[in-house]
Amino acid sequence: YEFKFQSSDPAGNPNFELQKTWVEDVAQKSDGRIAIDLLPVDSIVAYNETQDAIATGIIDGHVTDLSYFAGKDPAFGLMGNPVGAWSDPQQMLDFVANGGGKELLNEIENPYGLQFIGATTPGLEAFVSAKPLDGVDDLKGLKMRAPEGLVQEVFAAAGAAPVNLPGSEVFTSLDKNVIDAADYSVFSTNQAQGLNDVAPHPVYPGFHSLPLVEISMNKAKWDELPEDLQQVMTQSVADFAQRQIKALAEADEKAVAAAKEGGKIMIHDWSDEERAKFRKIAMGEWEKVASQSPAAQKVYDTLTAYLNEKGLVQQ
Amino acid sequence: MEIFGSLQSMGIEAGTGLLFVMLLALLVTGIPLAFVTLLVTLIFALGWFGPNVVPLITSRVYSFVSSFVFVSVPMFVLMAAILDRSGIARDLFDAMRLIGGRIRGGVAVQTIFVAVILAAMSGIIGGEIVLLGLIALPQMLRQGYDRRLAIGVVCAGGSLGTMVPPSIVLIIYGLTANVSIGELFTAAFIPGFMLALFYVSYVLARAYLTPGAVPDPVREPVPLAEKLRLLKGLFLPIVVVIMVLGSIYGGIASVTEASAVGVAGVMLSTMLRGEFTWSLLRGAAMQTLQTVGMIVWIGIGASALVGVFNLMGGIKFVSELITGISENPTIIILFMMAILFVLGMFLDWVGIALLTMPIFVPIIKTLGFDPVWFGVLFAMNMQVSFLSPPFGPAAFYLKSVVPPDISLGEIFRSLMPFILLQVLAVAMLILFPGIAMY
Amino acid sequence: MTEPEEIVREDHHAIPEAGAFGRWIDRVAILPALGLVASMLILIQEVILRYVFNSPTIWAHETTVFLCATAFVFGGILCASRDRHIRVVLIYDILPPRIRRLFDIVISTVCALSAGAFAWAAWQMVKRAAWRPDGSFRLETSGSAWNPPYPGILKILLMIALAVMAVQFVILAVNYARARR
Ligand code: NA
Ligand code: NA
Repeated sequence: YEFKFQSSDPAGNPNFELQKTWVEDVAQKSDGRIAIDLLPVDSIVAYNETQDAIATGIIDGHVTDLSYFAGKDPAFGLMGNPVGAWSDPQQMLDFVANGGGKELLNEIENPYGLQFIGATTPGLEAFVSAKPLDGVDDLKGLKMRAPEGLVQEVFAAAGAAPVNLPGSEVFTSLDKNVIDAADYSVFSTNQAQGLNDVAPHPVYPGFHSLPLVEISMNKAKWDELPEDLQQVMTQSVADFAQRQIKALAEADEKAVAAAKEGGKIMIHDWSDEERAKFRKIAMGEWEKVASQSPAAQKVYDTLTAYLNEKGLVQQ
Repeated sequence: MEIFGSLQSMGIEAGTGLLFVMLLALLVTGIPLAFVTLLVTLIFALGWFGPNVVPLITSRVYSFVSSFVFVSVPMFVLMAAILDRSGIARDLFDAMRLIGGRIRGGVAVQTIFVAVILAAMSGIIGGEIVLLGLIALPQMLRQGYDRRLAIGVVCAGGSLGTMVPPSIVLIIYGLTANVSIGELFTAAFIPGFMLALFYVSYVLARAYLTPGAVPDPVREPVPLAEKLRLLKGLFLPIVVVIMVLGSIYGGIASVTEASAVGVAGVMLSTMLRGEFTWSLLRGAAMQTLQTVGMIVWIGIGASALVGVFNLMGGIKFVSELITGISENPTIIILFMMAILFVLGMFLDWVGIALLTMPIFVPIIKTLGFDPVWFGVLFAMNMQVSFLSPPFGPAAFYLKSVVPPDISLGEIFRSLMPFILLQVLAVAMLILFPGIAMY
Repeated sequence: MTEPEEIVREDHHAIPEAGAFGRWIDRVAILPALGLVASMLILIQEVILRYVFNSPTIWAHETTVFLCATAFVFGGILCASRDRHIRVVLIYDILPPRIRRLFDIVISTVCALSAGAFAWAAWQMVKRAAWRPDGSFRLETSGSAWNPPYPGILKILLMIALAVMAVQFVILAVNYARARR
């Protein structure tokens, strides 16, 4: 079996390098019966067009942030990044594997012609800011860039002034103080691309975003796979998720140490109290999204049921 | 026999060869350029795969036109179209002649200076070439500059937009290579300046060595009253430049928004001069629509072609080609330069960047080269690609706004010395990496 | 000083071979053209609201991109009607007029065929952008906080534009063929 997968990460990004280890692992676990050709972002179609390309059989699968498809159904946005829900990647992975997340995702994605294989994540994103932020109150009037989806609404609800800028203008706009802050990526990536140099008050660990990166593929092609190979795929994704979280946590630690040593970057860490305040604002926004589509309502119900069961929300 | 998918049996090597032959053959037949690449893409989508892959092309067209980075192009073109319809440009160049007129080639040198300022205002090319083509070229010709020299100055100078920061080429490179965009901008500053200096030196050399290339310097003294009247022509353009650069560097507007500030500034200037009318606005808007239609459709095909080529296995093919060529890092770098040069003859920079960056960046990192230096080198190579025939976007953009008696052939001939200067700049960057890594 | 000669500016219109359809495109084009002017005003407004009043809008950038995208697509049709797409006429120019006409017919036909193929492909895209998998109508939205249906609308516009372009090239081919006889 030969498959073409497109990633949502560029070729030189550490995430892409890690995803290549998943490809190798699949080849090894399947004794070479599955060969995946992993292509970087935008190489076949744009990052937000992969779902259609998989469904129509142009490519076979993708490794991508689920919330890029919020425009197809708000459920993807809520599932892909329930802002404020997770404080640890393992919580999210457990929800997907054991809390009904996996079944729910297939229920939503199968009609689109996709089969959800498994979830991973680059980890908790760090917040990029040029102004010192130590709690929710500091967000008032903050001019910040946020990408599509829930993130924007939550920050607006928290009193910030979200600016809709493409990723390519984030650096120059921060550098020239057109914006004060940005939702961008994990600490190590922000550090590597120089964002912390122009906006020296990052909030780490972040409080706002832990994206669900899904690995999924064309459903018809998935159904053709014998069961043992389906299992190989599922298992390799689960192993990969742990590998990625570990590797990026290490990269983050290294970057944080380097930033501290440089002495010019002031890392801010929010108290549990402030994080809870932000989560409460976020949950109010989840409800609004839930009302936008039946699938989104299902995501909301399953998610809140899981969080309540695990005692992750204190009301 | 099944036609769809039949090309696949020829293999990626022969397929790539056929692709380039087809591009070249269709290019010279007179098919609208926008359709040359699209047609080749369609033939390969159908011939290599089948009808189900054709939506890939429209998907890429959709993503291309709805990308934010191109918003500044119509802004610059609109600025040009309004300036062209007002008397601002003429007054500006008369004033420039007053200032630089005592030096041979002074106005051409000042045009390069204007081009550098425009480059600092925008991150993408297209708009500036149209602007200089509408404004500077007729004025230089009016003042008696050699046609080819004037054309070259406009195209080469107008292309500096992606070499002088801010630059979309460098931003996309930074995102691909995961390196600091700030460092890329800092590193590109001196090489960009160096390239502009090469252009200036060439203009001065032509001015003093070849008789008739530039008009005779102004010798007769200009009365003070006349001087003051001419200098007034500088006032409004300088105010607009301050508005645009001030809004970028003062943290008021993003780079794209600043281009809109420029349009507003130019529009206000025409109002102050009492030249603003509905028919001026209407004419300028229509010309802008036509010009951006032309500019954007040239790029659309290249982006689609790369999508299909990558689906054919292009990424693997090119990276194996490079790693197989030699063990010597220098030879690999030179080979990459050769690939960029050849691609530059056939594709738009968006296509080249999409195709080569994902391949080159990992190799560069493995070889232990500084990815920031390579980013600057990449941007410098794109400078060459803008001018090099047969597919030279800068020449096409200029052609769209000049009188019909200036042919594409003449434009390309005019660009030759400037391409040599760019190749010299690429060579300098390889020989002396310190130019970028100070 | 040299005597300033008048700089002549060409004003372009649909070429005669584009027919009534081409003239209609030329007239309609003012709408997307003014869309570009509107984009400029929206961006300026956004800068003022953000910088002076610290309250950026959530719709300015998406609307600007939408207006520009519409203009880019329509600009392509306009260039077809006006024959203003750049052509490398290296061989074309040395041909005798009769063969040149033949070239015009073939080129317009080839362009019509490919634009037609792309319009069909765009329809495949629109099917997924305008209807949910269960068959109910819903335009694809941007997924942002404002969440406008711009992606769905733009994909439909692109499909229409490609179809219009195909028709324009057919008319051009027919008129070139007529003129030849
Ligand atoms: Na620039
Ligand atoms: Na070229």
